[in-house]
Amino acid sequence: MAQHTLEVLVENSPGVLARVAGLFSRRAYNIERLTVGPTANPEVSQMDIVVSVEGHALEQVIAQLDKLINVISIKEIKQESAPEVHDTQPDYQN
Amino acid sequence: MSQVTGAQSLVNSLEAAGVDVMFGIPGGAILPAYDPIFDSKIRHILVRHEQGAGHAATGYAQVTGRVGVCIATSGPGATNLVTPLADAAMDSVPMVAITGQVPSLAIGTDAFQEADIRGITMPFAKHNYLITDPADIPRAIAEAFHIASTGRPGPVLVDIAKDALQKMTDFKYPTSVNLKGYQPRLEPNAQAIADAAALITQSSKPIFYVGGGVIKADAHRELLEIANLLGAPVVTTLMARGAFPDSHPLHLGMPGMHGTVAAVTALQKADLLITLGARFDDRVTGKLSTFAQNAKVIHCDVDPAEIHKNRFADVPVIGDLKHTLQALIPELRAALKKHQPDLSEWLRQMNSLKSSYPLGYDQPADGSLSPQYVIERLGKISGPDTIFTSGVGQHQMWAAQFISYENPRTWLNSGGLGTMGYAVPAAMGAKVGAPDTTVWAIDGDGCFQMTNQELVTCALNNIPVKIAIINNESLGMVRQWQTLFYEGRYSNTSLDSKRVPNFPMLAEAMGCVGLSCERPEDVDATIEKAMSINDQPVVVDFRVHRDAMVWPMVAAGTSNDDIMIARETAPDWDSQEL
Ligand SMILES: Cc1ncc(C[n+]2csc(CCOP(=O)(O)OP(=O)(O)O)c2C)c(N)n1
Ligand SMILES: [Mg+2]
Repeated sequence: MAQHTLEVLVENSPGVLARVAGLFSRRAYNIERLTVGPTANPEVSQMDIVVSVEGHALEQVIAQLDKLINVISIKEIKQESAPEVHDTQPDYQN
Repeated sequence: MSQVTGAQSLVNSLEAAGVDVMFGIPGGAILPAYDPIFDSKIRHILVRHEQGAGHAATGYAQVTGRVGVCIATSGPGATNLVTPLADAAMDSVPMVAITGQVPSLAIGTDAFQEADIRGITMPFAKHNYLITDPADIPRAIAEAFHIASTGRPGPVLVDIAKDALQKMTDFKYPTSVNLKGYQPRLEPNAQAIADAAALITQSSKPIFYVGGGVIKADAHRELLEIANLLGAPVVTTLMARGAFPDSHPLHLGMPGMHGTVAAVTALQKADLLITLGARFDDRVTGKLSTFAQNAKVIHCDVDPAEIHKNRFADVPVIGDLKHTLQALIPELRAALKKHQPDLSEWLRQMNSLKSSYPLGYDQPADGSLSPQYVIERLGKISGPDTIFTSGVGQHQMWAAQFISYENPRTWLNSGGLGTMGYAVPAAMGAKVGAPDTTVWAIDGDGCFQMTNQELVTCALNNIPVKIAIINNESLGMVRQWQTLFYEGRYSNTSLDSKRVPNFPMLAEAMGCVGLSCERPEDVDATIEKAMSINDQPVVVDFRVHRDAMVWPMVAAGTSNDDIMIARETAPDWDSQEL
């Protein structure tokens, strides 16, 4: 399975780590690694999440993460190329 | 600005949010809030179990389209709300639950009646809050109502520490809510609408696969318009009964595990599913890999996470369904002017299935009462303006099958979670939301024994609901599976409820009128008697025969192609040209 790195900006509110971890556990997504750190804005934290998923499953992970109210934005960090930005409303894709 | 208690600020906030009724039970941690509730113009209905408060809030919300509100104390009060909150999440019901929490300094100490209800509800609540500072109360309430009622609706819990209710604070209700991480997309993408219209005109076997989202979005008129415009068949899922009139010639009925042969087969044979606010639930798709294998999919939903979740969507359209259909109708009308597909052969085939395999049932040979007959008569006599609620089991499926639903918000059931005990409290909430409408709960003898205590609430608060207990003296749906899949070994499914309890006496004890009926010839008169009583709740014990089964059936995990219309009986496919 391919590994994907997601850079997730979250509101720095209590319970937000539990929400994200709980979502991955409940929906049986594989987390390879998860780190949380501060950003320049004290109200916002950054989570870097490495997941192992295939194809449309990645879109599902991102869409489900986006449903968490405390999740502000999700960016997929591509190894080689520029980061692919998924804002909270994924754009129409055919 | 004058200072108020956090409790007063909570009640002011609920009033500012437009709450007119809430269902609940007080207790230590929430007690400070009950003092200002005493003086508030909000009607508080004192239930007998918090589960009843939760399902009542759901019933109210499903009937009115507004946010249902329930309130409970910490610990057991809050955990009793877990089932209705999970239920509301599965069926996308807008609900706000308020719970008291132990004082903030006691949180984490295993204090008396402490339960981490925010943690418990995290996996399914649309969102939740733990408030320890009274200054946060108005914002949390405003956000909770906003989140519960917008986008894909759902339940939001606000847990408030007791000291936050007691401390003094300034009350100022926010004039607007702005959440960085929550901006539901309501307007569909124009390109998606154009692609959807194009795909529809290329299809020769399209079908509207309609889910509960159409009702949530109040998009039933738009659905009627687009269905008439295209002239394609329509199926309405368990959550969507009433979204499209059952009497409409394009309606093939309900799909799914106990759907009609025509509805199930139409989905299987279609070349295009125009999916509106439905989520490809396993009870509809059967074995997913064999579901509608030749169909392309247009998936219209307000929740982006439904797209590609169970089924790949060729054209996803994210947005509020009303807006989506309002945009799609003119686009489709223009596209059809250029190319009008010929759907006549497709319609002829599906109508032939519809007339060859109507829903039906056998009258019991011994002259005893048939449950389907009772439910059919209830629907006919009470009529299409009635609101029906149901429990979970065989009676639920028969109520979905044998009553004609003509209007949205007239059929309330626990579709996603399958919560036994939903019917009575949901009927209570429905009647509070629509006091001038007749509300019938069609309940099982098993389900009724889970939540009937709310009839006391109904009797004391002038909420004259009507309950039809379909008493087959068993956990009928489970028994049906034992008949079919466990060689008739009826382990723990007999309830003996024709002996105990005496339902009419139980009803009378709770301040209701209790009636009973066990002969087919008495059914109409009994229903009419119940219909004539409007100043008290009425409970009718319909004593039906226990061996009736729900058909058609697609056994769990099998393909919709293997639908059975009776035991070991498949439709006669050879006689159908499909
Ligand atoms: C709370 C809960 N417990 C157990 C079940 C499993 N279950 C599904 S239907 C059913 C039987 C319901 O019996 P009854 O209310 O008499 O309805 P019937 O099927 O006989 O019409 C049971 C036990 C459930 N859905 N919900
Ligand atoms: Mg029963």
